[in-house]
Amino acid sequence: MLKILVVDDSKVMREMIIACLRGVPGLEFSQAASGLEAIERLSLGGFDLVFLDLNMPDIGGFEVVEFVRSQDTLKALPIIVVTTRGEESTRTRALQLGASRFMTKPFQPDAVVAELRSLLHDRLQDHVQDRLTEVP
Amino acid sequence: MTELDRDEFTAGYLIEADEHVRSAIANLLTLEQALRSGSPQHRHIRELFRSLHTLKGLSAMVGVDPIVDIAHEMETILRDAERGSTKLTVEAVEVLLEGIRAIELRTSAFAQKQAIPVAPTHLLEALAALQTSQGSARTLATSAGADKDSLVLDAQLLAKLSPPELEQLMASIAAGKHAWRIDFHPSPERSAAGFTISTVRERLSEIGEIVKVLPLSVPRDANAPGGLVFALLVLSEAPPAQLASASGTDASKLTPIALSRAAVSSDASERGSYESDPDDLVQGNRGVIRVELSRLDDALDKLAALVVTRFKLANCVNELRDRGVDVRELTTIAGEVHRQLRDLRRAITRSRMVSVGELLERVPLIVRAMSRSTGKQVRLSVDAGKAELDKAVAERVFPAIVHLVRNAVDHAIETPEERVRLGKAPEGTITVTCFEHSDAQLELRISDDGRGIDAAAISRRAGREVPTDERGILELITMPGLSTLDVATSTSGRGMGMDIVRRIAVDMLGGDLTLQTTPGRGTTFTMRLPLSISILDSFSFVCGTQAFAVPVAIVDEIIDLTLEHVVVPPAPVARARAGHTRQLAARLLKRRGEVIPLFELASLLQLEAADPARCKAFIVRSHGQPFAFSIDRVLGQQEIVVRPIEDPLVRVRGVAGTTDLGDGRPTLVLDLVGLSSVASAGAMA
Repeated sequence: MLKILVVDDSKVMREMIIACLRGVPGLEFSQAASGLEAIERLSLGGFDLVFLDLNMPDIGGFEVVEFVRSQDTLKALPIIVVTTRGEESTRTRALQLGASRFMTKPFQPDAVVAELRSLLHDRLQDHVQDRLTEVP
Repeated sequence: MTELDRDEFTAGYLIEADEHVRSAIANLLTLEQALRSGSPQHRHIRELFRSLHTLKGLSAMVGVDPIVDIAHEMETILRDAERGSTKLTVEAVEVLLEGIRAIELRTSAFAQKQAIPVAPTHLLEALAALQTSQGSARTLATSAGADKDSLVLDAQLLAKLSPPELEQLMASIAAGKHAWRIDFHPSPERSAAGFTISTVRERLSEIGEIVKVLPLSVPRDANAPGGLVFALLVLSEAPPAQLASASGTDASKLTPIALSRAAVSSDASERGSYESDPDDLVQGNRGVIRVELSRLDDALDKLAALVVTRFKLANCVNELRDRGVDVRELTTIAGEVHRQLRDLRRAITRSRMVSVGELLERVPLIVRAMSRSTGKQVRLSVDAGKAELDKAVAERVFPAIVHLVRNAVDHAIETPEERVRLGKAPEGTITVTCFEHSDAQLELRISDDGRGIDAAAISRRAGREVPTDERGILELITMPGLSTLDVATSTSGRGMGMDIVRRIAVDMLGGDLTLQTTPGRGTTFTMRLPLSISILDSFSFVCGTQAFAVPVAIVDEIIDLTLEHVVVPPAPVARARAGHTRQLAARLLKRRGEVIPLFELASLLQLEAADPARCKAFIVRSHGQPFAFSIDRVLGQQEIVVRPIEDPLVRVRGVAGTTDLGDGRPTLVLDLVGLSSVASAGAMA
């Protein structure tokens, strides 16, 4: 199982992201409703990928990215930053700080799946299974 | 999956959108007040920005583009204001409120699956104009010169505080409040013991105000297994031990934050105004979730099914007892189930209660808009305490409250000039208070300090005698079609008179309406309302020229009554009423190979029946036995408020209560199951 943390203060938004990934097998989802909660959970480890909203009530997504990249154990953690129209200018900053990908709302499920696959490629279950079935 | 199923998220979207709209309105109103009194309120701008930002993102996801457009423009203004590059004005608040109204209009169109109107051009233009023209007149700036060096705090932390946060800390300390830095180290053990950053934050905000939470990277060790510590900067008068236990640490880990000398002496007096923040409008909803009403109704339906099951159980127990089985233990258990069901019902009913304070949230907005359009100065004071009301009552009574408040602004409160001439303060006051009068009743009062009701003038116009007491005045002003001013104003006084208030409070909800009025001094309307009412899905129908209602739930089927299916039964029953126009179960109905008793409802109720050839009939079951009741015609299906008949003298078997189908006349709600047993007893006799 690959563990995915979805960080957004909007519950519907979190549910929408999870719904987009329903078709991908082998994923387990956790949710965090604030930047602080996200940092806390990430610091204690165990996650394979993060979906991160930039605009949250306590600390924003940038600070979360900054913290994650400052931690030795989290340096390689894939982070997909999710933003809204009008924030394109923040793209550069997010990527500079160490975000792996950048997605703008509204997005289509296919795009979410594609981003996830491109970041986790061979670690995904169906991929592993494909290879297993190739073995004679 | 190529498309997100939007329907799946509609309800969730609407709930969150509504929350943000409400929060935005509250913040805007607070902001407006703050702008007028000149005290900086940075937090409200930040919250407003976030609300609009979230609205924009969510609306984009569900495809409500007009809201995206409006929210985008509003957000830009607020972002600039938040960053301090432009300053917000009172005029800007006005346009922003208009924007929120436009958003709300569109979320409700979305909820009703209607076409969503595009964003109004004039609004977008007004918003765009604000983005360039801000910065005049009364402004909301953070007073400059928050001097970082004067706070005794770790440099790493100081660097991360925004100017408003710094200022808040300094001003509060200067005003004599206690500020603390509390470090929280997350760990799996602490999390298992219930200490996470979220719970710590929640507990601390109950006993103090959190200015900022800063995550800091630290070397990993036993105390900080995640290499992370949260530094919480908290204003609180609670003792250190309490703060420590709220955050799962010990008091020695608390660091007081102080001001360096110079700062204390310079600004203390000036900044004292922070203490009187008009923040009441904006409160956190900790521990509160919002649930779609239909889910609660669903729970109630399931409960009703459970009640039926319990009755079946009780029947079984009785049968067993009759057969001589020892059922003492079973009886005890059945009794327990009964009690638990009753408690459960109470619990669910309670969860349908909404706070009156929340219900009245919009009233300030209405008063504000009206005082602008009328040129009157009005101060509104709302005190709803902790009173709660069933959602169904709240929804129904709200229009009455709005009507009373509008009337008060429109007709009761005088213009500022007139008030001054009368020796009153130029600003009128409207007070809305609310408290629980008893376990079952709520009292709502709407008072004004205006001109009082001129009963003589109104009676003259209505061509009635001048009433001698307040009861008479109430009767006079609640006469249908009466408006208290000859000149129709833009808001009230057109069509909808006071009679609607009486109809809602008294006829519909079964409450009470009274008034007290003193010429020149003001008027108070008092409504007593039931805390809850029962709502029933019902069929309304006509029988013998009168309208009635029956619960949908008890009607198995509605059929066309054709004469060939009606049979006159053999001797005994027919003979009992032979030659009589009033027939009880003198007839039978052949249906799907079954013969069931057919009662003529008009006869049972001693009414004139219609032409039997054009009749319909309800099929009802009582004790598993089907019965048919003939009626004239079905009017429709609707939700009704059932009021029980409390007077024992009027209580009749077969009548469940009364309701108002919307015509202002009381309509009987029939209990056809009860009536069937009355009728069959009659037929046997």
